[in-house]
Amino acid sequence: MNRQEFKDLVIAETEKTKNSTCKHKICICCGAGCISSGSEAVMKKLQEEIIERGLQSEVEIIPTGCMGPCNQGPLMKYLPENSIYQKVDCSNISQIVQSQVIEKKPIEHLLLFADSRERPFSNADEDPFFSKQLKIVLKNCGQLNPERIEDYLVHEGYRALDKALFEMSPEDVIAEIKQSRMRGRGGAGYPTGLKWETVYKYVNDQKYVICNGDEGDPGAFMDRSVLEGNPHRVLEGMAIGGYAVGASKGYAYIRGEYPLAIKRFEAAIKQAKKMGLLGPNILGSNFSFDVEVRIGAGAFVCGEETALIASIEGKRGTPRPRPPFPAESGLWGKPTLINNVETFAGIAPIINNGGEWYSEIGTPKSAGTKVFALAGKINYSGLIEVPMGTSLREIVFDIGGGIQGGGEFKAAQTGGPSGGCIPAEHLDVKMDYEALVNLGSIMGSGGLIVMDQSSDMVDVARFFMEFCMDESCGKCVPCRVGTKMMHDLLQKICDNNASRIDLERLEELAVYVKEASLCGLGGSAPNPLLSTLRHFRNEYETRIGKYEEKHIEVPQTSEV
Amino acid sequence: MNTIDIKINERSLKVLPGITILQACRDNGIDILTMCHLKGLSDVGACRLCLVEIEGINKLLSACTTRVASNMVIRTDTEKIKRYQRITTELFFAERNHVCSVCVANGNCELQELGYKVGMDHIRYPFLFPECKVDTSHQYFVMDHNRCIMCTRCVRACSEVEGAFNWDVKNRGFQVRVISDFDTPWGESITCTSCGKCLQACPTGALWSKDVVQGQLEKHPEMITELVEKRKLLLT
Ligand SMILES: Cc1cc2nc3c(=O)[nH]c(=O)nc-3n(C[C@H](O)[C@H](O)[C@H](O)COP(=O)(O)O)c2cc1C
Ligand code: SF4
Ligand code: SF4
Ligand code: FES
Ligand code: FES
Repeated sequence: MNRQEFKDLVIAETEKTKNSTCKHKICICCGAGCISSGSEAVMKKLQEEIIERGLQSEVEIIPTGCMGPCNQGPLMKYLPENSIYQKVDCSNISQIVQSQVIEKKPIEHLLLFADSRERPFSNADEDPFFSKQLKIVLKNCGQLNPERIEDYLVHEGYRALDKALFEMSPEDVIAEIKQSRMRGRGGAGYPTGLKWETVYKYVNDQKYVICNGDEGDPGAFMDRSVLEGNPHRVLEGMAIGGYAVGASKGYAYIRGEYPLAIKRFEAAIKQAKKMGLLGPNILGSNFSFDVEVRIGAGAFVCGEETALIASIEGKRGTPRPRPPFPAESGLWGKPTLINNVETFAGIAPIINNGGEWYSEIGTPKSAGTKVFALAGKINYSGLIEVPMGTSLREIVFDIGGGIQGGGEFKAAQTGGPSGGCIPAEHLDVKMDYEALVNLGSIMGSGGLIVMDQSSDMVDVARFFMEFCMDESCGKCVPCRVGTKMMHDLLQKICDNNASRIDLERLEELAVYVKEASLCGLGGSAPNPLLSTLRHFRNEYETRIGKYEEKHIEVPQTSEV
Repeated sequence: MNTIDIKINERSLKVLPGITILQACRDNGIDILTMCHLKGLSDVGACRLCLVEIEGINKLLSACTTRVASNMVIRTDTEKIKRYQRITTELFFAERNHVCSVCVANGNCELQELGYKVGMDHIRYPFLFPECKVDTSHQYFVMDHNRCIMCTRCVRACSEVEGAFNWDVKNRGFQVRVISDFDTPWGESITCTSCGKCLQACPTGALWSKDVVQGQLEKHPEMITELVEKRKLLLT
């Protein structure tokens, strides 16, 4: 397909949607969360119901990616009114169709958050859960059918690639990304434009683009939801990246635990190839780009870029020291651009709307929006996207609906095993890369676990240390032996069996492991420990006090 | 030949571009501790003993894997580096079973030497004493996992110098172990050529030949270096 044919196709598809006889659209969330709570059965039942009532020409059923409030699933959205029904059961399908489609009245008690809000909103966008969000990366997740490229085309799909290829030089693309001030969403927040420029500058006849979809942090599901909900957006970002840095081959590294994401991404590649949006001479230009999926075996360390590259090369997934960075010597020793799923998913909107537009969202040092996976003791958990600089309080109380059972907020854990805890006194922190680092945590990839008073912070630190100990690749000494030693010491404290000397040792080891480890896994493994020590030291002290009470004899002076 | 200027521990030096910081130190008689490095084999940066501080870089980098750059200002002797070398050494000793008095390598062991060098008078961490096998199935050699420090010098000597690829690594974290072929007894290996290079590469009493007794082991890791260098000469 050449450029003109592509334009014609987009117009034709857009017309087709506009002129469709279907006045009603019912979206069923087919994200992994809702599927696990039974959305596939709901969809089947809905299809039967529509056929039974002979409404096929009026109602279109769209299976979509994650809509956001995953713990209320299965979710069903009625368009154009935008009413979302929660916890939909096969038994209330008929009632919903009757009332919403035929009688045009929403059924209040089945609407989203009907069981917890005084009055649910019949237009979900007015609910604080959604109104406080700004969706750029997730914009079309929950709206389009991720398995149909035509749906994506109607939603501005591949227009950014078209624009980049025919109206921009690689330098222009890089300049636009630099102007956007976007930072990588994989954890470290490295400026994306700068990374692209570095790879672009290395002269080599073979370069690679890698999309990091390993997402190994416990509790994180941002990348999975993007890959499942809008795989073409990621693919488009990778192709634009390839064009900008001069690479003709891309790999998407997706963890094996995400079969649905893999299936949809592979389907997306096939569809894009068929339309000439991927493969040789894309849209008739002289840019060729091909993407292959590589499936990870589920080791956390394989998310680290050099380990991931080793894994793609078919080797044992262990990191190697940097420098040289992948931009200089990456996959098979060639200059390689490696970005996170969410980073790539944010590229097309920047090309379409301009870097300036993006740079104005967020905070001065962290532009744009961030996707978080909200979990823990919070009323509404799920997937959200907010402008950088949104306060933790807004996220927890406005979007997340506060603490379960009216409990008290104790801390929020960000950045998973590489991050730290933010205590209640910092609820007003404006979430961006710097602010979180200042509090001893990190943005990380976007996991956000909310804890209430029942959480034991020493045990939280022990839990994450156990994770790092198990996931350490075992290559370097500080991480391999250090995480084991720190874990054992933390266990000792949890068991009220540790003395002050143990605590001193633990603190010394933590700083050593952080600084001496080869890669970021060991480099950040002590973070949950260090941050709980910083904000909740008293919980450590209490336990050591208990040990001392038992084991240190206080001289009984009165008996002398 | 073109040289670049660098500074190590306040000393101004002219060195060849492209060499590692470790090489620059060794060429100029600056002492630097290493364990996973063996000249002639590729470098992996695993033991973290050779960490150095570099001005303008907020991370410690391993000297064996980092190349010099013009005007680099390097320190190898700060208090922090010394403290970290000592912790690393203690962790080596605490990780498996290193009771020198009953080891074949006693008196001829790089780990033992390291302990002396960093002034390790005691070990502050509990001994983990994991259950480790002693593989005596090979006709001539023994692999005692209790003494292995996972430097992977044997793995690299076997693949890079002998080209036999007998050794590899299995598992993760502190469960990592060196394995022969697909984790089968060494004696049943179909790749091992019994060349003995891994024995020479090994810094500890983990790999040894059956004809030695306690404290009698002699090792010549420099043999690997010489071999590689002679081969290079042959090729040029
Ligand atoms: C232990 C470890 C695990 C990581 N896991 C991931 C991951 O799952 N996904 C990811 O995108 N980046 C992960 N990273 C960060 C990558 O190394 C790399 O920085 C990132 O993919 C770069 O993309 P970005 O610039 O778009 O953020 C991990 C890093 C470390 C040290
Ligand atoms: S820090 Fe941990 S995961 Fe990273 S190389 Fe060292 S042992 Fe492996
Ligand atoms: S057997 Fe020896 S050479 Fe091989 S990894 Fe263990 S200590 Fe190193
Ligand atoms: S999976 Fe359905 S809302 Fe997230
Ligand atoms: S000698 Fe450099 S890290 Fe081991």
